[in-house]
Amino acid sequence: MRDGTMTRREKIAGSIVLAGLLLLAVNPLPSAFGQRGEPTLPFSENPYVLSDEIDAYADFMMSGGPPPDGIPSIDDPVFVSAGDADLEPGDIVIGFSHDGEARAYPQRIIVYHEIVNDRVGGLNVAVTYCPLTATAQGFKRGETTLGVSGQLLNSNVVMFDRETRSYFSQITATGLTGDHRGRTLDEVQLVWTTWERWRNTHPRTEVLTEETGYLRNYPRDPYGTYNPRGGYYTQAGTMFPLMYSSNRHHAKEMIVGARTSDRSAYFVLSELAEEGVQSTENFLAVYDPDLDVGYVYATDREAAEVGSLGGGAYELDGASYPADGLPLERLVSVEAFYFAWHAFYPESERV
Amino acid sequence: MRKLVEIMRVPSHRRLALGIAGTYFVLFLWGLQDISRGGRGFAFLTANWSRALDRTGSLTFEPVAQLTLPGLTVLLSPINMLMGVVLSVLAGLNLLVTYIALTRPWACGFNRSTGVLASLPALLAGSACCAPAVLLILGIQASSLFIGVFQVLIPASLILLLITLKFILDRTNTDLLREEG
Repeated sequence: MRDGTMTRREKIAGSIVLAGLLLLAVNPLPSAFGQRGEPTLPFSENPYVLSDEIDAYADFMMSGGPPPDGIPSIDDPVFVSAGDADLEPGDIVIGFSHDGEARAYPQRIIVYHEIVNDRVGGLNVAVTYCPLTATAQGFKRGETTLGVSGQLLNSNVVMFDRETRSYFSQITATGLTGDHRGRTLDEVQLVWTTWERWRNTHPRTEVLTEETGYLRNYPRDPYGTYNPRGGYYTQAGTMFPLMYSSNRHHAKEMIVGARTSDRSAYFVLSELAEEGVQSTENFLAVYDPDLDVGYVYATDREAAEVGSLGGGAYELDGASYPADGLPLERLVSVEAFYFAWHAFYPESERV
Repeated sequence: MRKLVEIMRVPSHRRLALGIAGTYFVLFLWGLQDISRGGRGFAFLTANWSRALDRTGSLTFEPVAQLTLPGLTVLLSPINMLMGVVLSVLAGLNLLVTYIALTRPWACGFNRSTGVLASLPALLAGSACCAPAVLLILGIQASSLFIGVFQVLIPASLILLLITLKFILDRTNTDLLREEG
C-alpha cells in the first residue's frame, strides 16, 4: 500500500487470504463420516410413541454451532480399574453393565464427547450423553459407530450413524433423516448415578480414562457442575428453542421417563425417592436407593399392587423383588431435565 | 502501509498497540475456552498433529498440545492461535488509530465519533469467539439466526477490521503526527 493505493502483489495476497477464510467458513473440511456399506445398525421392533410427525422434528432441528464430528465421539476408549480411577465419591458417572462387565463413564469426560462407541460384555453399544438435557442413553450399534451431528432438536443432541449418515434424535431414539428415517434405535438401560454408588454396586467396574485421543480441560465442565450442582444445570433458562414448554416443574428438575409404542410417562425423581413406588394409569415406577435411580414398568394401575419393603426391596403378590427385578414388563427408563422430556412428550402421563 | 510504519515508529504507539493486541489475544483464546480455569498440577500433553485441521466449530479447530498449570489449562490449537494473532494485531492497530483519532483529531480527516465508530469491528471480532459463553452467561435462548450470525462473525470481523483500518489510515496525516511528536 502506498498512500492509500495497494500494489498488484498486495491485492493478490489479500484476495488469497480472504478467499481462504471465506472457503473455510462456508465449506466444511472433510468430516469423519465412514464408508457407505450394508447397514448393520440394529433397530427396535417396538418403536417409541412420538408426539409429532417425523417431518415436524426434522424441520425443528437446528444447528448448535459445531459441524458433524466437531464434538468428537470417543471411538477407542481406554479404561482403568476402579482402584485407579481419578474420581471423587460424589462425581457423576454414567454406568452400563452387560453380561458380567461393568463400565463407568465419568460425566466430566463424556461431557466433551457426548458419545462413546464401546464394546461391553460382547455387545457393541454407543453410550450417549447430552449435557443440555442431562440425558444418558445407550444404543446397540452393530458394526457401525455413532457420531455427534452438531444439530440439536429441543436442545437435545442429534446423532448420526457412520454407515448411512442418517440423523437420530437421542431422547426419542428415532431416525429423523436419511435411510433410517422413522426407525427406532434398540435402546439399552444406562444408569446416571454417583461414582460412590456405582462402585459400591459394581466393585469390579472399569472406568473410562482421559486418554481419549483428544485434548480437553477434563476437570472443568464448560456448562456447570454436578458435585455440587450449579451453573447451567440449575438455571431455569434453556439455551435453544423447544417445541413444547411447561412451567409445571423447574426446567432442570430431574425426572425419570419411559415410553411404549403408544404412550409415555414421567416421574419426578425426588418425589419417587420419597415415596418408593409411584404409578400412573399405565406405568409404575420404583426407586432404587442404592443407585438413586428409578425403574419404570408398563402395567395397569389396578393390575399391580406393589409395596415397598424398604432398602430397595418391593413386594408383589406376596413375594419380594429388587427394584429392577419386578415380574412386570420393564421399560428402558431415561433420566432427563423436565423441560426436555416435556418438549418431546408433552402428553406424558404423570402422577 | 507507510502510514502504519510511521505511526508505529512512535514508542508509545507501539506499546499501546502491543498491550491491546496481547490482551485481545488472551481474551480471544479465553472466549474459545482454549484458555480456561481448572488445571491440576503441571503437565504438557500432545495429540496427533493431524487433528490440527479438525474443526470443532464453524472456524475453530482441535488443539494438538495442552499445557496444564495449577488452576489453569491452556489448549494449543495452531489455527485458533493463528487466527487469534491476526485478529489481535488488527484489533490492536484499529484501537490504536481510534485512540489517535480521539486524542489528536487534527491529524485525522474525520471527527472523533467517526474514530469511535471505527473501533466497533474490533469489539465485534472480540465477541466472535464466544457464542456458547454468551448464551450461558446471559441465559438467553439461541435462535437459528443467532447461531448463523455467530458462525460467520470471525471472517466478517476480519474483513471489517481491514476495511476500517484502511479507512482511518487513508484519512490520517502522519506528517502532522510526526511534527507533534
